[in-house]
Amino acid sequence: MIPSQRYFGTAALAAAAVTLCAQCDPVRGDAIDALGGEAPGVRRGPLHRPGQPCLLCHDGDFRDPEGFSVAGTVFLTPEDRTAVNGATVHLTDATGSSFDATTNAAGNFYILPSQWTPHYPMTASVTPPAGAPIPMQTLIHTEGSCAGCHFDPAGTNSPGHLCIELADGGTPP
Amino acid sequence: MRSRGSPFELGAVFAIASVAAAAVTLFACSAPPADARYTQTTLPDSASFSPVAELLDVRCGTLDCHGTAFRNLRLYGSSGLRLSESDRPFVPLCDTAGELTQDYLSVVGLEPEEMSAVAAGGDPALLTMVRKARGTEAHKGGQVWTKGDSSDSCLTSWLSGKPNPGDCATALAGVLPTGTSNPLMQCLAQPPPP
Ligand code: HEC
Ligand code: HEC
Repeated sequence: MIPSQRYFGTAALAAAAVTLCAQCDPVRGDAIDALGGEAPGVRRGPLHRPGQPCLLCHDGDFRDPEGFSVAGTVFLTPEDRTAVNGATVHLTDATGSSFDATTNAAGNFYILPSQWTPHYPMTASVTPPAGAPIPMQTLIHTEGSCAGCHFDPAGTNSPGHLCIELADGGTPP
Repeated sequence: MRSRGSPFELGAVFAIASVAAAAVTLFACSAPPADARYTQTTLPDSASFSPVAELLDVRCGTLDCHGTAFRNLRLYGSSGLRLSESDRPFVPLCDTAGELTQDYLSVVGLEPEEMSAVAAGGDPALLTMVRKARGTEAHKGGQVWTKGDSSDSCLTSWLSGKPNPGDCATALAGVLPTGTSNPLMQCLAQPPPP
């Protein structure tokens, strides 16, 4: 097989997989469409799509993109979306097993299933680069994307994007 | 040989027709009249529901589970979905009177017949909700607690008319991230809404 043929074969397979996937869950397909395209100048990778529900796409179906068990983004304040680089996200699951992940320059962190997969319910806390841990006071029962609940605007069904500081220097509720 | 008018076929047609007629008749008798209503005879006590609601809110009502308008068992509360447009998760800290009322109606309205039977002394496991939490019936959220533990007893003792708020407090302290120092523990000390 000449390389271009192989490429064509792979592309066709990938196209088929995408179609299949979109067909089996139209709700998920719509939710992904609603997120829009990549931000200009940001490559698909560890720094992309901060604040979005990563596992919507990184669900491990067809291994492309690769699946995550837990992922999210830490921002500074409720008012804006300044990324926090170097925060520690501490997660503990129902069996007492825990895992620490560190946020990158986009505020993103992600955990591969091979690194750690929680048994729900899971608890979370975030420790800023300097400062004391800020606990989330309630439980996570099924959702591996922090942004599955932490989205804007804050309202009856969301505490708003995940952040670690209030304008007055206090910590969020 | 060609049969004349085939009595066999006629017989078959007749048989089918009478079965169909019988079915229609039966159905007509068993179908309830269009205006039929089931009136719940016995209901669990709403005044002692508040600690049970706190537990349900924390264990079932998070935004990734029953804290959504898309579930039959729809739960409002501080840990998840808020009822008032101006409220948001954890603000205000405790479930509001309106949320407690909505949660009570969700719980008692799911299976009215079974709920009446349980409130009148029947086995709480008659209720799908009790079985799903125990994991003895398929549940997307998996097994949440075990029959007889403090969480299970918080719910079932209330359903059976012998509320045990102490069990609700033990259950909450055992599962909340920061235990007894979790702010939500204060909500148990609040007087129940009028
Ligand atoms: C709209 C879908 C979508 C969302 C949402 C999304 N990603 Fe991605 N991500 C992709 C795609 C597509 C790739 C490219 C995969 C490839 O090149 O094979 C990718 C690649 C990556 C990669 C490189 C590893 C890989 O699989 O190639 C990382 C790391 C990553 N994303 C992290 C994240 C994080 C963290 C979030 C949430 C803050 C996120 N992504 C949200 C679709 C998404
Ligand atoms: C099931 C919905 C849900 C998911 C998923 C979720 N959170 Fe939360 N989070 C909340 C709610 C509700 C609050 C506000 C009440 C509280 O503190 O528990 C909150 C608050 C927090 C707080 C307190 C500060 C603040 O910004 O309000 C932190 C820290 C936090 N979450 C971290 C995380 C991290 C890290 C993840 C991802 C691993 C995550 N959360 C996923 C619902 C969720």
